[in-house]
Amino acid sequence: MAMLIPYGQRVTPDDGTVTSRGLMRPRPAGRALRLTVASLLTVWFALPLVPLLLWFFADRWSAPAVLPTEWGFDGVSSALANGALPAFGRSLLLGLVVAAIATPLGAMAARALTRGAVPAARLVSGILLAPLALPAFVAVMGLTIVLLRARVPGMVGVVILLVAAALPYTVYTMRVAYAAHDLAYEEEARTLGASPWHVLWRVHLPLVVPGIARSAFLAFLVGWSDYVITVLVGGGTIVTLPLLVASFAAGVGNDAVIAVLSVSAIVPPLVLLLALGRFGRRYPTAHFLNGPTASRSPKGSP
Amino acid sequence: MGDADRRGLAPAGALAVGRCTIVAIDFPSSGARAAGSRRWVSVALLAPAVLIAGFVVFGGVGMSIVQSIGLLPLVGEARLSLDAYTANADELLTGLGLSLAIATASTVLSCVIGLTAAIIITQGRRTGRIVAAVSALTIPIPHLIGAAAVGLLISDAGIIPRMLGIPGTEWPDLVGGPWWVAVVLEYTWKESAFVALVVAAVLSSRVARYDETAALLGASRARRLRHVVIPLARPAVIVSAIIIFVYTFGSYEVAWLLGRPYPEPLPVLAFRLFDSITLTSRPEAAAVAVITTAVSLIVVALGMALLRRTPLWK
Repeated sequence: MAMLIPYGQRVTPDDGTVTSRGLMRPRPAGRALRLTVASLLTVWFALPLVPLLLWFFADRWSAPAVLPTEWGFDGVSSALANGALPAFGRSLLLGLVVAAIATPLGAMAARALTRGAVPAARLVSGILLAPLALPAFVAVMGLTIVLLRARVPGMVGVVILLVAAALPYTVYTMRVAYAAHDLAYEEEARTLGASPWHVLWRVHLPLVVPGIARSAFLAFLVGWSDYVITVLVGGGTIVTLPLLVASFAAGVGNDAVIAVLSVSAIVPPLVLLLALGRFGRRYPTAHFLNGPTASRSPKGSP
Repeated sequence: MGDADRRGLAPAGALAVGRCTIVAIDFPSSGARAAGSRRWVSVALLAPAVLIAGFVVFGGVGMSIVQSIGLLPLVGEARLSLDAYTANADELLTGLGLSLAIATASTVLSCVIGLTAAIIITQGRRTGRIVAAVSALTIPIPHLIGAAAVGLLISDAGIIPRMLGIPGTEWPDLVGGPWWVAVVLEYTWKESAFVALVVAAVLSSRVARYDETAALLGASRARRLRHVVIPLARPAVIVSAIIIFVYTFGSYEVAWLLGRPYPEPLPVLAFRLFDSITLTSRPEAAAVAVITTAVSLIVVALGMALLRRTPLWK
């Protein structure tokens, strides 16, 4: 569902427009209200992360104490002893494989859908969006019997189901990217003698690369955060990070280990998100296309 | 000027090439052939994605239906029957009610909090930027991790009772209690951030100018919010509400981790039946899956109908 989120796009207005709106300058009462609501919202979004950070560094934290009674890294060593590293690797691999398959498939489908000439286009885009409306456990419970009889290995089954779950995100993101994409640049390159392959690598892909980065990020998230599909298809044999967190969280008294595992499950997507924010802005199509002409015309004009 | 540059720099041959291509495209039979081949290219580009999504959606739902009506038993003869639907009728009904209640509560709370956050974000300044940043950081956190974090926060041994100095015995059962508070809170926490960013994107793209015009025409703050900002945000809120409802209705891990053993929401019930060792339980799990799918589809249809009735829907 995260596909609608404008990653790498500014959602807050510029300082200039805010200060120039004289009519809409806030009054003191409104300002105080806004500050209160904003700080309440900040607490609301940030609060659940506080126990994770505190428990990460806590060796002992007996019940009434407000802060950990003994600080240390026992949680880390305990998590490592319980197979955190291989689980992390498996989750990473799953996320990367899902992204590597779902991103090109989504881009190809979106390209076809935006260029038209697709028979039954509405039905096709409906099918591609449908995994979003279908609870994951339904698909798995229906298909396990098929996958078992066809002797599909567990990992392959998990990847197929996760790719289907990621396709709505990649297709939608790439449709947005292709809607803003001007085919004339590719046609121009072709008339100037570039081969189709050359046009794909040097013109087409560089123009849609922010969209590709976004959809790869979303597809990675699908594989990285999945619990239901991995546990049902893998039958508990494919131990990823979410499975490890679930098994510790279902018990009692593992708080430090849960915190360490949770933080290690949060950090990679956050790093990717920050990288995406930089990457998405570094290569904006508008600048890429208009920049050279705009800077050249003043010098060239007589 | 740029045009003249290009014309001046272009070798004479390029013009000729351009003219040749135009002639080729204008030629009727070759144009028809091009359209036909483009159609084939489209089909080839679409095929892998549609095959995988279609296999999972139609295969998953179809095989669930087939199993639930007894046509694919693990052992014994296939026999058409609705036993799987009637075997756990009571649990199915309570589970359905419970799932609907959890999904409704989470959806309504997420939309209210998310819309408030979106308005704060688009009001701009530093406060808006901070709220936008923390809600964006919430989005990529997996739901299961969110559930573990909420558990560490508000269980009877959690951080909040400790900070408030309330002993665990007097703290209400938020985790695993009768009101499913922790489950709804986890969904609301994650999904309100989702609503905030989606609605903020819509508001920042088109509302600012309408809002200024209304202010110029003398509308008060309350009236602008009521008649400009909220109506413009409505389609985005409805779309996110559909997505949140369907997700929370069919999601397993949060309700399993933070909920209580009985009564069970539909996905938890389906999981228990699926993993049970009784031979009849697989069809029963499939029956729960079919009912969950049917309700999700009805909700999507209702949501789309609501969306078509909003004046802004194109």
